[in-house]
Amino acid sequence: MTDSTDIGGMDEDQALAGELALRVLSPEDEAAARAREAADPAFASHVDAWNERLGGLAHGIAPVEPSPWVWPRVEAGLTPPAAANDNTVVFWRRWAIGSTGLLAASLAAVVMLAMQPQPAPVAPVAPAPAVIRVATLTLESGAAAMTLAYDAGTGELYLAPTNEMAGDARVPHLWLVMPEGGVQLVGAIDGSSTSRHSLGQALSGPAGSANAVAVSMEAPGHTPAPNKPDGPVVAQGVFQRL
Amino acid sequence: MSAILTRDELAQALGRAGEGDRAAFRRVYEATSAKLLGVTLRILADRQLAEDVLQDTYLTVWRKAGSFDASRASPITWLVTIARNRAIDRLRSGAAMRKSTPIDEAVTVIADDAPSPAQALETGDDVRRLNDCLGQLDDKTGGAIRTAFMEGVTYDALAVRENVPLGTMKSWIRRGLMRLRTCLES
Repeated sequence: MTDSTDIGGMDEDQALAGELALRVLSPEDEAAARAREAADPAFASHVDAWNERLGGLAHGIAPVEPSPWVWPRVEAGLTPPAAANDNTVVFWRRWAIGSTGLLAASLAAVVMLAMQPQPAPVAPVAPAPAVIRVATLTLESGAAAMTLAYDAGTGELYLAPTNEMAGDARVPHLWLVMPEGGVQLVGAIDGSSTSRHSLGQALSGPAGSANAVAVSMEAPGHTPAPNKPDGPVVAQGVFQRL
Repeated sequence: MSAILTRDELAQALGRAGEGDRAAFRRVYEATSAKLLGVTLRILADRQLAEDVLQDTYLTVWRKAGSFDASRASPITWLVTIARNRAIDRLRSGAAMRKSTPIDEAVTVIADDAPSPAQALETGDDVRRLNDCLGQLDDKTGGAIRTAFMEGVTYDALAVRENVPLGTMKSWIRRGLMRLRTCLES
């Protein structure tokens, strides 16, 4: 692979990761590659490796002593460090590392996640107006895995899977993806036919603030911890208000 | 003024900073801020902006230090990556008003050529190896990769500068990156 002009397969991913680390991509291509980085831990580790490889180029840059006012301003801004989950990239990496056969979420969905405005809070008056939120969960292939609708007023959740998950011996589990990172288990779902659930009050807070949903595939009979799937994450979609 | 830390000491200080140790964080700042300002200034070519970005960079470092993994990244490279990405984000946000001073002049005027404490942080072997491998690329490819890194410019800008079609520039860099990787891993 020294002189080939045809960069394909694995090398295509490597080249894209290198381009992203080098920051040469156009804004549109960079946004798509960042979304890929956020959703695909293998790709993200390629990007890390490229940062490591290219970082030595900074050796050629002469150091410049900062003005004395910089440190006091930095110090004034220090807050107790948050747990290192301040972005979804870290979340996805930690979540998915070690799971094999991971099908990353669709790029489009993740790009939209970045652009999604915060949902308006539900008015506390009774009866609460129905705020219907919908999401289409897609596989890495781009195929739709499921459409979901959630009524924040009643806590009713409606799921309509396509045939994409049918025939899988594993059990799909639905997760809320929270805006600050982290996930909240909703529960096992039926991957082969439409179903209706009532999330009730227990999850109404998280479900109201979640900005996306995801599906992991868990071993039959296994219930994962409420904040971390054990099986691979196969689909994700962003909540939209209807 | 500047503390000299070895790579291991810096990694350790970053780890402590990640646990909320402000004294350790200050050691990280003292050992690396001149290096990182060099990086942000090279990209932004404006000292005020570069120092603003430096401030942001260290606040990010403080928040993310807990996720630094010394087994996977060199501490100085990890820091440089954050600083460089922040500077490029600022450059592309349009907030950067480039002064009329040409970049090279601006940098040579203010760059301090004295040995930096941060230079002790870079493993000489890694840098030499990178330079050897870059040297094996043809001049225009190696030059384009260096310029992209140092100045944070996109394919579009590189193609205009070199007066070649965009596709040609992409092909140079992609193939250059693949050769670089093969060389670094051989």
